[in-house]
Amino acid sequence: MSIIKARNIHRKFVEGELVTHVLKGIDIEVNAGEFLAIMGKSGAGKSTLMYQLSVLDTPSEGDLEIDNVCVSRLSERERTAFRLNTLGYVFQNYALVPDLTAEENVMIPLLMQGYNWVDAKQMSHKAINGVGLEGKYQNLPAELSGGEQQRISIARAVAGKPKILFADEPTANLDTVSGATVIDLIADLNKKENQTVVMVTHEREYTTGCDRIVHMKDGMIVNEEKFNRQTYAPETSTHL
Amino acid sequence: MRSLRIGLLLGLRQIQRASFWTTSLIIFVMMLTFLNLIAVSGILVGLIAGAEVALRESAVGDIIIEPLDDEDRILETPALLSKFSSFPEITAYSVRYNGAGTLEANYKERRDLTGERDTAALTVTGIDPVLEDKMTNLSDLVVKGEYLDPNEEGKILIGIYYLEEYAELYGDLFDTVENVNPGDIVRVSVGEVSKEFEVKGIVESKVDEVNFTTFIPEREFRRLFNRIDRNADQIVVRVVDPAENATVKDSLIDAGVGELAEIKTYEENVPKFLADIKNTFDLLGAFIGSIGLIVASITIFIIIFINALSRRQQIGILKGIGIDRVSIEVAYVLQAAFYALVGSALGALITYGFLIGYLMENPIDFPFSDGIMVADPISTLYRFVTLFIITLFAGFIPAWMIVRQNTLNSILGRK
Repeated sequence: MSIIKARNIHRKFVEGELVTHVLKGIDIEVNAGEFLAIMGKSGAGKSTLMYQLSVLDTPSEGDLEIDNVCVSRLSERERTAFRLNTLGYVFQNYALVPDLTAEENVMIPLLMQGYNWVDAKQMSHKAINGVGLEGKYQNLPAELSGGEQQRISIARAVAGKPKILFADEPTANLDTVSGATVIDLIADLNKKENQTVVMVTHEREYTTGCDRIVHMKDGMIVNEEKFNRQTYAPETSTHL
Repeated sequence: MRSLRIGLLLGLRQIQRASFWTTSLIIFVMMLTFLNLIAVSGILVGLIAGAEVALRESAVGDIIIEPLDDEDRILETPALLSKFSSFPEITAYSVRYNGAGTLEANYKERRDLTGERDTAALTVTGIDPVLEDKMTNLSDLVVKGEYLDPNEEGKILIGIYYLEEYAELYGDLFDTVENVNPGDIVRVSVGEVSKEFEVKGIVESKVDEVNFTTFIPEREFRRLFNRIDRNADQIVVRVVDPAENATVKDSLIDAGVGELAEIKTYEENVPKFLADIKNTFDLLGAFIGSIGLIVASITIFIIIFINALSRRQQIGILKGIGIDRVSIEVAYVLQAAFYALVGSALGALITYGFLIGYLMENPIDFPFSDGIMVADPISTLYRFVTLFIITLFAGFIPAWMIVRQNTLNSILGRK
């Protein structure tokens, strides 16, 4: 069952008379529980597509439906609430609030969702334990390594049980070992919790565990690969 | 409520983790702003309040009794004074007899009898030295020589404005005599009657009325001015609680004093120009304070703007993960409120814990006043509320400007 349905998504950037057409009519669906990777070279439009799908940006044209909600019609306030309650985010640069401890960083969206302090704290500890950082609750981001910060950001993204987890090049700033740990965590969430994941990456090695990879070029999806969920073996590869 | 809670957490942690020195500097600026608001007008008004205090303490007291409109003197003065014994609220009083005459000095050394005499027109006040000293501490104002001894005769105290060496700063404004010091003999003439006095002391006060007076014992005054009755020109009264002087006045009227003389409280008697200057200085202080207020609001605006701008990406990410704008704005407004509160509290502590007390003990020596500091708690509260509200706006506007920017542009650092 599709949790994301995107139809004819266009994204144009206008600066004076210069119009840059970054996404040129993308059609894509993501199934609930699927782990989708979006790949492509720099400038292919992969991050821009993810921003549309994750409701961080608004397409110039096209329809987007997530979890049976037509997000294109939501107001700014409703979009913020929708992101809070339905989506989780992992950014390339970890994006933790430097003044808050690891525990508080994870608690912030939970408190916003309406959980009380005690429950939010318990949920945050559980999420932090889930990413293997027991005992680091009181550490400030500056007191954690890059890999640990990214794991805390994953804990923040999933603590509120989002329907979809979006990860924008989550390994880009990490060394190979830390990057692999982060990808394993995301893949585990997908396999064990049936967490829907949409991840942008340009590193093929980190797509192991994905159900599907879409390749983008010049603002269009040009190829789609599907993998066996158990064996990760390639099943189909379709040029579009 | 949810937004407020998260905003408070974010704001509190930003304050907690901020650089100690930066926070201290901002609080210091806010403290100076608050002091500017309170202290400048406080000292300006205190300048006049100091003059009022001096006038009240060394000249007119809390209640002033003067002749009725159609009388030259206070009627039945001895009978009137006898009523004071039934007023325990009255702690001191002085009975004064005033007259005009001429002061002449250096007449014994004068060789050229056709030359100009060293004279000055003067006001003579007859007093009971003991009562007057108890009432106004006149003996403390003697800057040269000694105070009058009630058992002596032929002695005079001279206010400095009659003496050339003290009054020369004022040019030819006053009529003065030269080279007069304690121990010198001067002559006071009233009409055809003259009497020699030995200068016992020289009196200097912040109050012009005192500087413009010569004091002699009342019995000599009556002889000199041929005042056979005992009716005085002025009685000044000090009461236990100056704030209750209106009540004492009413009681005096009830006791029949009002039929013999006109009774005024200090407040009713205060010269209009003093009240006008006080109001003008208050206004001037408010004007200077309002400039400080504008400077403070711009300072806070810049601080919060830079703070929010440097955290623009973080703000974008918070919005991205679903934190609403109000929460983020509350965080910055809270910081502004913190700076205003702590700065104002320190300013108030310095004002009420140190400045007012210190200036009361060590008044600023202005020519016409011992300047103190006046800071009425109600007006201080009013100014604090003004500063606080303006600071909140100065914190909110830059936060609002940054927070309202496009979420994705903020995350990506795009313009």
